[in-house]
Amino acid sequence: MDDGVQTEYTGIAAEFAKARAERDKEEAKGLRDSSVNAKAFNKQKEIEFSASHALLIAFFCLLLFLQLLGVYLFASGFLLTRLVLDHKSKCDVPPVPLDQSTSLSTSEHGCWHPKTFDRAVIILIDALRYDFTVPYLSSDPHHYHNTLKILHEISVQQPNNAFLLPFIADPPTTTLQRLKALTTGTLPTFIDAGSNFAGTAIDEDNLIAQLLNASKTVVHLGDDTWHSLFPGYFDANLTKPYDSFNVWDLHTVDNGVSKHIFPLLDPKNSSKWDVIIGHYLGVDHAGHRYGPDHPAMTAKLEQMDDVFRRLIATVDDDTLLVILGDHGMDSKGDHGGESDDEVEAALWMYSKKGIFGRSDPSFVEPPRTAKERPVAQIDLVPTLALLLGLPIPFNNLGKPIEEAFIGSSGKNYENVARVHRLAAAQIHRYMNEYKQVRGLDSGAFGGADSMWDKATSTWATLGSLKSVVSKPWTDIAKEFGEYQRQTLQTCRDLWARFDLISMLHGVEILLASLIALIVYGCAIDGDTTELSPLLVARGFIGTAAGAAVGSALAFSVSTLPAIHTTVYCTAVGGLIGIGSAYWYARRRLTVPLPKSLWSWTAVTLTLLLSIGFASNSYTIWEDQTLLVFVATFGILMLASSIGQQSLTNRALGCYHSVLFIILTRAASFSRLCREEQMPHCRSSYYASASSSTSAVWTLLIPFALSFLLPSIVKSYYDTTQSYQGSAVLWIGSAFRIGLVLTAMFWSLDAADDNDWLDMNKDTLKTIKTFVAQTVLAIAFAAGHSLFGYASPFLNIRTNSSDDSNPTDEAIASDSGSSAISIQGYNNVHGTRYFILLTIWGLGIILLQKPLGGGVIGILVWQILCLLEIIAANPSLRSTAVGPIVLALLGSYHFFKTGHAATFSSIQWDTAFIPLKTVRYPWSPIVIVLNSLGAQILCAIAVPLTQLWKVPPRKQGLMGSVTRAMTQHFLFYAVIGLATTLWAGHLRRHLMLYRVFMPRFLMATVVGAVVQVVGIFVGIGGLRWTFLSVGEVFGWT
Amino acid sequence: MNRHALITEKKGAGPEKSDQKAPPSPAPSPSAPITTLDSGLARIYTHLHPLLVLSLFFFRFQATVEDPVTTLTNGLAPLGILQIIYVVLCLPATGSSTPSSAAKPTPKPSRGKKTQAGKGDGGVAGRTVPAMLSHLLTTLLATPLLTIILILFGAPVTSKLWETLLCAAHMSALAIMPLVYVHGVDEGRWWEVASLMSPVDEVFGAAIGTMVGAWAGAVPIPLDWDREWQKWPVTIVTGAYMGWAVGKLLGGTLLRGKRIDLG
Repeated sequence: MDDGVQTEYTGIAAEFAKARAERDKEEAKGLRDSSVNAKAFNKQKEIEFSASHALLIAFFCLLLFLQLLGVYLFASGFLLTRLVLDHKSKCDVPPVPLDQSTSLSTSEHGCWHPKTFDRAVIILIDALRYDFTVPYLSSDPHHYHNTLKILHEISVQQPNNAFLLPFIADPPTTTLQRLKALTTGTLPTFIDAGSNFAGTAIDEDNLIAQLLNASKTVVHLGDDTWHSLFPGYFDANLTKPYDSFNVWDLHTVDNGVSKHIFPLLDPKNSSKWDVIIGHYLGVDHAGHRYGPDHPAMTAKLEQMDDVFRRLIATVDDDTLLVILGDHGMDSKGDHGGESDDEVEAALWMYSKKGIFGRSDPSFVEPPRTAKERPVAQIDLVPTLALLLGLPIPFNNLGKPIEEAFIGSSGKNYENVARVHRLAAAQIHRYMNEYKQVRGLDSGAFGGADSMWDKATSTWATLGSLKSVVSKPWTDIAKEFGEYQRQTLQTCRDLWARFDLISMLHGVEILLASLIALIVYGCAIDGDTTELSPLLVARGFIGTAAGAAVGSALAFSVSTLPAIHTTVYCTAVGGLIGIGSAYWYARRRLTVPLPKSLWSWTAVTLTLLLSIGFASNSYTIWEDQTLLVFVATFGILMLASSIGQQSLTNRALGCYHSVLFIILTRAASFSRLCREEQMPHCRSSYYASASSSTSAVWTLLIPFALSFLLPSIVKSYYDTTQSYQGSAVLWIGSAFRIGLVLTAMFWSLDAADDNDWLDMNKDTLKTIKTFVAQTVLAIAFAAGHSLFGYASPFLNIRTNSSDDSNPTDEAIASDSGSSAISIQGYNNVHGTRYFILLTIWGLGIILLQKPLGGGVIGILVWQILCLLEIIAANPSLRSTAVGPIVLALLGSYHFFKTGHAATFSSIQWDTAFIPLKTVRYPWSPIVIVLNSLGAQILCAIAVPLTQLWKVPPRKQGLMGSVTRAMTQHFLFYAVIGLATTLWAGHLRRHLMLYRVFMPRFLMATVVGAVVQVVGIFVGIGGLRWTFLSVGEVFGWT
Repeated sequence: MNRHALITEKKGAGPEKSDQKAPPSPAPSPSAPITTLDSGLARIYTHLHPLLVLSLFFFRFQATVEDPVTTLTNGLAPLGILQIIYVVLCLPATGSSTPSSAAKPTPKPSRGKKTQAGKGDGGVAGRTVPAMLSHLLTTLLATPLLTIILILFGAPVTSKLWETLLCAAHMSALAIMPLVYVHGVDEGRWWEVASLMSPVDEVFGAAIGTMVGAWAGAVPIPLDWDREWQKWPVTIVTGAYMGWAVGKLLGGTLLRGKRIDLG
């Protein structure tokens, strides 16, 4: 089809052939039979290349390492940390002297307070949002409304037996953090959020440990997260843990819990246990998989309703039944953040003893919304402890729930006051310990301490008062309650206290590393790779020296924590080493100021984006900003293409610029709105705003992709006749088969979702994962081996002089009658390297939802457009435009593949595309490939900006690729530093946890991942490209 | 596919080897910036004009915020008239292919144009017809084009289409209409304009200013200030007007004769 196509190579060819005809002839012969001399020369060149390539990778790794040290220092000061005290509350050591009348300090009757129950059944419904449990009275209810009725029903009908309240979680709303808070009664700190994938044992005092101390038998059923938190705490025979992370499985855990819990409740088994903890996951998984507004959620809530009814019927008279949610879910069924929907869970307590009450008769009706009369989740800890006669866990900050202690009359304020006093006294004891350990002065708790004094003095007046009626119980309860409230507030502030020195040191390191990158990427004259040996040597020596000095200082003079001193000195040492290398080579440095309009635009847009992150609005609307920025570059590239003198370049440039802009806008129709963008945004990534499944029509996309994408790639190869050799095998067959299998995978998935196939679910799942694993094997195993061993995509033809096709490359002519021509000569490097992009593209397309796969397909096409634009605008090649546009594109398509800078937008369920269960390290890798697929692909594409359509023997290619890669890294480093600065600066901002901190964490992770991929896949992949091209054409 | 169809030439090969020049491509001979007419009225009105246009816009700003469609529609005619007055009084008309210039035969565009414009002949009345034609041409051709560009830059597609269209109409009346008036259908000059290689003068400067202003006008939209004026397309139009005035001023004075270097 491309016989008429002419490309740039003919021009080169003419010159090439003319100027170096003799040598070319030798070379052409050399393709078949080369002399020993040339072989030796090539061998030496090859070794030189390998060495400089390895040094280059080493230097990039050093720079990444230094940045990570900076991030570590900043994060250790910024991500809140709380000192964990390992004190334990003891039954015989109450926090305040107990009253004569209630001094029953034995576990027989209850430790610090007379116990109400001996046994309890605690049912945790993961993600039980409050509005699932109360009637919805307006018109058009959602699927989750008015389904789970039993809790509300019983609370209203039997107010003395049950109460239902909103149960507010402290963010982060991840299950592991919630379980910690629900058992220890303390506030979670942020740094724990990351450990959700691999929970660690709780070493603080907690309810489960207190139960064990009191020789109670605790049985756990359901979510196995509990076992990572409380290893060995549960009765080994009766406990049945289930895998918790398989969010695509709605029923295994729930059915398992139900199967085992009801036999235990049978009277004949009642002696075997004291406390049962049942953790149901179905509601949470239905939310993750389908979103709350889906029939699957209705079915799940109906099932729960039925379970609760059976529980109420079977539970005996002396057992407390608690049903609670650990967090809510957002409108798409995800959680992790601190939006209202995510923190508003429900708490329901039930007992046939009839001991619950309300202080006001109107409180019998549970609150309509979670905004009225909420209790904190940590309040459950003292409540349960006192109801079961246990000491309140040492670190608890919650207060007892009034309804559980006020008595059926609703007037027993004495009891309320007593439990409030106990809880407050324990908090007071804890705070005193904390102050001592931390070396804080008492001023830190000024307000709370005076409230404590006031409350204790009111308590002291009790003895003098004779009349029972006039005793100020309500005041006491209020004052102790106020002490608790103020202390909790102080603790929130205290644990939101940032270590400014750490943060500052971190920022210093990041800034210095950024400058090192800027110098390396923009200020070095000539081939940057020549400096590698110097930079690597001095950099590593500096780092080692810094580490030595740092650890020496850490253990002698430094007052800072040892690890801090060591890390800081190591980084400073490394940076000084690199700086000295720059100084040594100072004659080769220039001032890194933008020199052309292109550079100015690249720098300005990067800076504008960075400045924008200081505002929550621009962070929230980053996707739209990126669209405008990418389109701006598109328009500028169009204008530049129009200005080309050569008609071919002009036409090619214009065509690809227009296509580039249109594709950008086309991708923008795939949107996932974050909560803050509402109501000005409509999501299209999922079937509906409250769903996390793809719409059925999106199934067409993977099929269209398998049809179109290989042909699109082929058409770009065809322009230089590079569709040769193993490229045909890979792009024409393997790549296409992989895409067809991806389409099959998503069809099976949709069939599974919508029950199209009458087939065993397990079998279906096995087939699905097998298909997905095959695609990954094609991409990464077969693809990489092909990439490693393929020769350049060339075809050598001997043409007779009257060949009708004049576009062939005439490299060497033996005589007038025939010529050896090489097809694919003009894009040897580019097409060879591009295979890497299709390998990773295939893998990443599989790991996206169908719409996301389509977006990645568009991204691949856009990258090809960009490469053609650069080839058509010769002056663009040496500017930062290519790398920066790729960085913008990567960031843009991050949003277009259904992600956002929020925790809840992480598509956890994609971990189960190629795997049935969570497996390390594969599951986290899959999540990274899903989340950062676009940025990864763009990082891999960076070398192409220098390789696409350049002559195979061009000088200094490695240097220009290095420069481009550095500029690409620079974009992310600038964004990383900016978000770090803003997060640090705005650390008291209302939106810190919703907007700035997630963006900072995202920038950090993206920066690290992009650099790792860029170094090892991008720069690393060059090795095979250059070696294979060098083998054919010799080294320059 | 049309990519292939477009390629009829052998392509220059990357940075080093673009030795081949396309024969039909316009000669890169530097064209001169437009000079305003050499009359006292022109010299005064060219500075008065932005003030008039801006005050007209800001006088109706409140109404634009309240009801963009009606106000922007009503604003089109006054803007058109002001722009026609401006080009007629201050700018040299294009030399070719318009009825009026047939009456006054002009040699080749640009260079020859300037001297003729300098003399200021042709007469106000004679230049009114081409000005009106320019306005018509601009409204018909440039408005849809700018609408598409606005949409490509992220303007909503399914809603607010009238707003976008009117925004594009105002932008084209500000930026494109004077360009049409001075360049007519001179292919070479338009090629320079489209590739941003035209020398900066008050007409080209105003056009660039309009575009940059509209671009910058998008900046306040995402802010969570909950102001009425943040709604589409008020900020874009405002940015375009202000950018136009600044661009016109700078293009006619400080930056006159300079060139944007994309190369």
